[in-house]
Amino acid sequence: MGEGLEQLSHVSDRAGVGAGMIPRWVAPCVVVAFAFVMYASGGFVGDYASRVMLDTGIMMIAAVSLTIVNGFTGQFSIGHAAFMAIGGYVSGWLTYYGLLATLGRTTDLGAEHGWLLLPAAIIGGLAAAGAGWLVGLPSLRLRGDYLAIVTLGFGEILRVLLQQTDRQRFSSQEMSEVGLLGLIVPPDVGGASGFESIPKLTNLAWVYLMVGAVILFAIRLKYSSYGRAMLAIREDEIAAESMGVNVTRMKVRAFMFAAFFAGVAGTLYAHQPGTLLRPADAGYARSFDIVIMVVMGGLGSISGATLAAIVVSLLNVGLLELADYGAMKWRMPIFALLLILIMIFRPQGLFGLREIWDFFRSRDRTGGGR
Amino acid sequence: MSLLEVKNLGISFGGLRAVQDFSLSIPPGGLFGLIGPNGAGKTTVFNLLTGVYAPSDGTIELAGRSLVGLRPFQIAEAGLSRTFQNIRLFPDLTVLENLKIAMHLRGRHTLAGTILRSGHFRATEADQTRRAMELLSIFDLTDRADAYARNLPYGDQRRLEILRAMATQPRLILLDEPAAGMNPAEKLALAESIRRIRTDFGLTVLLIEHDMTLVMDVCERITVLDYGQIIAVGEPAAIQKNPKVIEAYLGEVANER
Amino acid sequence: MADFLQTLLNAVTIGSLLALVALGYTMVYGILKLINFAHSDVVVLGAWTSVTLAVVLLPRLGVGLEAGSIPPVWAGVLVLVLAMMICGGVGFLIERLAYKPIRKAPRLNALITAIGVSLLLQNVGQLQYTIIDNQSLETSGLMQERGTDARTIRLAQAIELEEGTQYAIRLYRIADIVRATEAIGHPEAEAWKRYVTERSALPSLGTLSDTRLRLSPRTIVPEVSGRFEAGSDIGIAQPIGRSETRDAVFELYAISPHPPLKLPFGAMPQRIPELLPQKTLVQHDFTTEIAQADGSVVRIEKPLRITLLDIVIVGTAVILMLLLELLVYRTKVGRAMRALSYNMETAQLMGIPVNRIVSLTFVIGAMLAAAAGFLYALKYTQIQQPAHTTWVLLGLKAFVAAVVGGIGNLRGAVVGGFLIAFIEQFGAYLGQQAGWQNSSAYTDVFAFVLLIIVLLVRPAGLFGSAVREKV
Repeated sequence: MGEGLEQLSHVSDRAGVGAGMIPRWVAPCVVVAFAFVMYASGGFVGDYASRVMLDTGIMMIAAVSLTIVNGFTGQFSIGHAAFMAIGGYVSGWLTYYGLLATLGRTTDLGAEHGWLLLPAAIIGGLAAAGAGWLVGLPSLRLRGDYLAIVTLGFGEILRVLLQQTDRQRFSSQEMSEVGLLGLIVPPDVGGASGFESIPKLTNLAWVYLMVGAVILFAIRLKYSSYGRAMLAIREDEIAAESMGVNVTRMKVRAFMFAAFFAGVAGTLYAHQPGTLLRPADAGYARSFDIVIMVVMGGLGSISGATLAAIVVSLLNVGLLELADYGAMKWRMPIFALLLILIMIFRPQGLFGLREIWDFFRSRDRTGGGR
Repeated sequence: MSLLEVKNLGISFGGLRAVQDFSLSIPPGGLFGLIGPNGAGKTTVFNLLTGVYAPSDGTIELAGRSLVGLRPFQIAEAGLSRTFQNIRLFPDLTVLENLKIAMHLRGRHTLAGTILRSGHFRATEADQTRRAMELLSIFDLTDRADAYARNLPYGDQRRLEILRAMATQPRLILLDEPAAGMNPAEKLALAESIRRIRTDFGLTVLLIEHDMTLVMDVCERITVLDYGQIIAVGEPAAIQKNPKVIEAYLGEVANER
Repeated sequence: MADFLQTLLNAVTIGSLLALVALGYTMVYGILKLINFAHSDVVVLGAWTSVTLAVVLLPRLGVGLEAGSIPPVWAGVLVLVLAMMICGGVGFLIERLAYKPIRKAPRLNALITAIGVSLLLQNVGQLQYTIIDNQSLETSGLMQERGTDARTIRLAQAIELEEGTQYAIRLYRIADIVRATEAIGHPEAEAWKRYVTERSALPSLGTLSDTRLRLSPRTIVPEVSGRFEAGSDIGIAQPIGRSETRDAVFELYAISPHPPLKLPFGAMPQRIPELLPQKTLVQHDFTTEIAQADGSVVRIEKPLRITLLDIVIVGTAVILMLLLELLVYRTKVGRAMRALSYNMETAQLMGIPVNRIVSLTFVIGAMLAAAAGFLYALKYTQIQQPAHTTWVLLGLKAFVAAVVGGIGNLRGAVVGGFLIAFIEQFGAYLGQQAGWQNSSAYTDVFAFVLLIIVLLVRPAGLFGSAVREKV
């Protein structure tokens, strides 16, 4: 992908040429162009393929965003799905009731409503980032494994709370009877049976625009003063703090960045055709899926997480194809076993901290990879 | 007016007084030594100075500003940097990245600038790279800039730690056993470099070292710790003759035998 | 008063279960500094093994578990001991195969491995591999009769229903089918959608039991037999009910009398046979008088019951805790364990067989987990294999108990277990008293709020001591 070019500026940097070899607007343009191609191809690929591509894209966003916390700062969050759920529920609440109030319907929307997804994703992301701040702040006094438990607990609490939410309203008349406050406290998002009829605004272009955005964000973050400070925390927290890195602040920020993009992924998921947002989406099962991708790809490797998300999604599709032979039930046992074997035989994951392109210029780096 | 002024510093772990009544005054540009037998509390003093541990009592002032209660990164910001006895580099990052992390607090930019790769961002990055390469040239490490820190030989890792501490642009640098594991030739070169750090970069240095030749060679003034307490302060020549110091060290040698 | 005492009793019972599980977490953490994520899954395994043993083994030993008969005491003890041994073995294997290779690796890797082991146990436990199925599809069709009291299904083809064979009718809502087929991109998805909008020909059936669709049909057992022609209606004894009949498809299955041959796991709930007589040991009726608005007084009698089950649970837990206490503080092995938890390298130098002691720790932890699982299955007779949230939450809460008590500290874990149980039980009780409608739904939230408070105020837990990292 075009972001690989970013890296070249890093090399030239070393040679003292200055960071100007590739103009900085190239990478964003590549992202937008790719999203446009996706938009144009939407009609061609067919329902099934496009559904697989949507799922894959959303998982890519989730995996890359989790890389910022688990890979860069070396903290271990296993409640990422909770942030997705927050993004999904908040943005879904907005678009569902917003459209119900203004249009009187949430289905059969025309292309002219497509833009609504962008503000929805931003608000969903911000809500999730706020939650990330809330969870991150107290957790930062905790060592890695406690943090894992707290994030897991957060997801479970959220799931329980979402199950207790009120019945969804299905007409604007019902809405006006309840009033705005009644819609908010407690939120009428359908409780245990799920939040139905969220407007289906997600399409390939939106998903892959966001995929590009999160990858670009993560790469530019990684190769900057910010990202290096985060990596330093992962490498050696005490040394990082002694070298002037405000560890607490960096961890909170990493948490918020990751949560933001998880919220975006959740928004896309909530508005995706054929999905039903349910409280279980906040639970541990989905979080573990994302963790598996990040660990498989290599903790800290953006390209690794992206690739792992694709591989895992395609593996899911493959197992689905073999479902008639009872393949689906082997999915999680296979992934779990894979996780253990990776930890025993290749603990740094596929790529470790490195990116794919690092391997093509290993000659540059005396001593090579690890 | 001294740069570092420590008075009656003390800390206890559980019931044990690890360091007590530690006082030290270093003038700007000084090159001081802190020695003592194993377990005397030298590294604990460093940890107290850099905020890793919070002192139970006493005061620490750097150029008149109190450091007690500050977090380690704030102390680094105030101009006090250190190396570690057991090397604590960032092993999976490159030599260059190790140095640039230490420059983090002197060259920040906004998140937007970082993500959009603003002109300011690029200028700072280029400037940091240039300064890092300059630092590397002190120890002839420029051609290792892109090596991963974990792949450096032991001696180079120690040298890189010193450079990393210097990259924070400190006024006072604390070196914790910089010569550990080096051969005599390397130690000579190190002694020379430490002098250069002081003269060329105008740094004040406080050094913990077990190698007496090195300490006596480079330090102007030495503080000796034993069981957490100062037992002697003075010029190298006087310290060498101090009976208390000899006893502390001989006692240790005798115990080891 | 009765409610209060009943809450107290519940808290003690649940507390002793949590404490048993928490002990396993804290023992492993004390020695390996590892959160053994798989521990809660061993608890489930313990419950599962107990049920399977009771169902499979006891009848063969001549212990009839027919309704009304009281099983001998040794039957329960046998099941418990065997379950503990099996789980102990599993604990040993987990440690040797998964944790030992990464013992020196960074803590994060150990944590990920533990998560992997947990996922593996959970999902292998869910595998329900049917080797010989016991049901076959006879016919299917569209529900013709509608409404909540529908009592017939109309056949599209002739069918012979034999006497003695059991049949099951599954009803699928068409709305569900459309959603499910669309969700997985099923080849028939378009056809179903078209059927809904245009009422065109019914798409081919017979694929609805496809696991990919994840449909949960409503099942009815018809009690009829004989030959039925196409177009005839089969009457069903009880009304089909509910709204499924509004727009639904039925499938008629024949169930053979032989049970299907399956792996002993599965996601379906299972019930443990009664191993204990349902005896109430203490019963005391409390009378509450409530003054009504019109001046009259209404008396409500509420009984407090202490059952044999409660006593057995608390008793077994206490006995096991005392045994553990003896083992750790009064034996040579226990001393070795404590030495390991201080410093593994030094302990090794002192000639302590580290590998053996670590294995033993896992085995003991797993055995306690199995006991907790057994007791849990006795109390909540219907158990569901893994991924069932109750179990995950049980494990999490036990971990919270261990942390609250100060992880690595055995007595702390016990205190923590009871503390968590008290807080969630009384939290729900007080919430109810204060008029909070479904406060019991929030019990899990209380436990985690406590965790966060403890970690913030006293990160080392109530009885733990802070460990300083060496710089």
